[in-house]
Amino acid sequence: MNKLGTVIGFTFWNKVRTKAFVITTIIFALLVTIGVNVPYLIKLFTGDDGNKETKIGLIYGSQSEIALRLEQFAASQPKAGFKLVKYEQADEKALSKDIEDKKIDGYLQFKDAPAGQFPEAVYTSKAGSLDMGLQNALQSGLQIVKTQYITKGSLSDAQVAALNQPVQIDAQQIKGQGGTEASGKGKQTGANYVFVYIMIVLFWMTTMMTGNMIASEVTSEKSSRIMEILITSVSPLTQMFGKIVGMFLIGILQIGIFGAVIAINVMLPHNREAFSQLNIDINQLDLSVLLYGLVFYVLGYMLFSTLFAAVGSMVSRTEDLGQAVMPITMISLASFYIGTFSASSPNSMILKIASYIPFTSPVSMLIRVGLGDVAMWEVGLSLLILLVSIFVFGWLSAKIYRTGVLMYGKRPTWKEVRKAMQAYKI
Amino acid sequence: MTQPLVIDNLFKQYGEKTAVNGVSLDVKEGEIYGLLGGNGAGKTTTMRMVLGIIYPDGGRIQYHGKEYSSELQHGMGYLPEERGLYPKVKVSDQINYLARLRGMSAKDADKSLRYWLDRFEVPEYYDKKIEELSKGNQQKMGFIAAVVHRPKILILDEAFSGLDPVNVEILKSTVKELRDNGTSILFSTHRMEHVEELCQRITILHRSNPVLQGNIREIKQRYPREQIVLNTIGEVTGIEKIQGVQSVEKRERGYLIHINNVAAAKEILNMAMQQSEVEHFEIKEPTLNQIFIQEVGESNE
Repeated sequence: MNKLGTVIGFTFWNKVRTKAFVITTIIFALLVTIGVNVPYLIKLFTGDDGNKETKIGLIYGSQSEIALRLEQFAASQPKAGFKLVKYEQADEKALSKDIEDKKIDGYLQFKDAPAGQFPEAVYTSKAGSLDMGLQNALQSGLQIVKTQYITKGSLSDAQVAALNQPVQIDAQQIKGQGGTEASGKGKQTGANYVFVYIMIVLFWMTTMMTGNMIASEVTSEKSSRIMEILITSVSPLTQMFGKIVGMFLIGILQIGIFGAVIAINVMLPHNREAFSQLNIDINQLDLSVLLYGLVFYVLGYMLFSTLFAAVGSMVSRTEDLGQAVMPITMISLASFYIGTFSASSPNSMILKIASYIPFTSPVSMLIRVGLGDVAMWEVGLSLLILLVSIFVFGWLSAKIYRTGVLMYGKRPTWKEVRKAMQAYKI
Repeated sequence: MTQPLVIDNLFKQYGEKTAVNGVSLDVKEGEIYGLLGGNGAGKTTTMRMVLGIIYPDGGRIQYHGKEYSSELQHGMGYLPEERGLYPKVKVSDQINYLARLRGMSAKDADKSLRYWLDRFEVPEYYDKKIEELSKGNQQKMGFIAAVVHRPKILILDEAFSGLDPVNVEILKSTVKELRDNGTSILFSTHRMEHVEELCQRITILHRSNPVLQGNIREIKQRYPREQIVLNTIGEVTGIEKIQGVQSVEKRERGYLIHINNVAAAKEILNMAMQQSEVEHFEIKEPTLNQIFIQEVGESNE
């Protein structure tokens, strides 16, 4: 146990003090800072445009009734974001000139249509297109005008207003399903969603980063031949798990740093406002989700890192490492994508299956716990499978590690490893 | 008293190939035991089995009368043939780390490291990284890593290879000092002159088999003395007529005489003293080098 602590300490301090670690951490912290500030920046850039109303030339022409109604609507909606300028006739030259002179940004005209039918509207501008906000505003305005135009006073104003009201769908969850609900609250809250998503990304990132670090560390110990001394000083199992835990602490440290950076940035006054608009309340976060998240996170990390250590021990040179860790990278990518693609449908079959497969279960189960509904026994079973497989793969990895660290030369095949294991009587 | 290290009929097989075939030896307290052999003779495999890195397929190894256990690792030091140290880690960090892994407290480890750096007169390396040091100095650091925890049993695999003569002398005197303090040292090399200087007893391995074993002096006595070096001021004639003399080579300052009977030596000396003044007379015993070549060469045929 004492030795384990020594290995952990050595692994941790040696990595933390390297330039590479310091630099990557700073770069990531900067990226995170930028990421957090994106909502504010977007607001900053679009905010300028928001103050300016788009001036639209409205050509009465033959459809003066519609044009009039639209103008009335626009007058009743001062915040619609556009202002109408009246033109009696479509005189293209004059209109073009007005656009050039910036009197108007574009003009709207109606095509001819048979009586009783609503005509098509055409918007002409320099850009030849409508931006999203303006299009929505014009469309909803015209929709109302259309309703008025077609019903032509056969409906009361109240009825027209009722027609224009959009249909509302409220989602509700079944209550009291035999304790399946850990929270009792609605689950698909913004906070849970964001948390689950962050956990998945963090899980994937740290597993890949620290996993690769573990593998390359083991390989470099092998290629510098210090392994022979290490292996005579401390058991391979202690050595391997010391390294894994040490690297885990580094990962946690990094996450902690990023977390602090995020927290500081969110606390800044300009961001607090931007985030309050996103409607995310930290208090909505489910404590059980947090807990499950952490448990699955730690266990998933353990599982992947033992494999990384085993692979690292089979390779003699760092150059060969990339190729050797490929299969693990693939598995972890698969688990990541199953997670992210299924986040919107947390009760899908693929996610259910994936949540019992050791390598995909940390991510999948986290989504099911955080966003779907899942029974206690399901979580328990998944945890049990994960624990057993950690034990099995840990044991196997330790054996491979023990054998691999003494094998030099080209990357051994599985057959050779098995043979060597027999030869070394491990 | 039980011997620090007893190897009994050790046997190891890698697949089809036998790596070590029936090696037996014992190392006393305060003894340097030489393990000789060409490349691939099984020296490193034997040492690895002693260290518990790999397990023997047959035979026994006993340490102070006990079987191998992980506690014993604290009492063993190992300098591998390829000096293993972290290239990018400071000398103090890694040697203290290794010492602590072998059961030393951080304070003791540091004290011991500083003692050894002073011993090699390089205290300034304490804060240097291994990759900043020359190869010879890296090897010294490797040696310190092997002895920093004051092991009872020290295993040196080609300890002096790649060192300049000055450093060889420094390391040699250190090894002797450790021996005099009671450390049992198992020492492998293919440089015979080191063995003759350091070891009392040796085992020569050839192609996994022990071909020659025992006290160096006894081994040498088993081989006939065949050469006499005779340096005189003036010329000596008629040596070749003495019974038992095979040939006489004229050298710069005297003669190298090949004999097949040691009894001839006395007559040669008499004759030389009558004819001239003798500066140097020596009946040369066979060097280990010659014995080694003879043994290994014979079994090659």
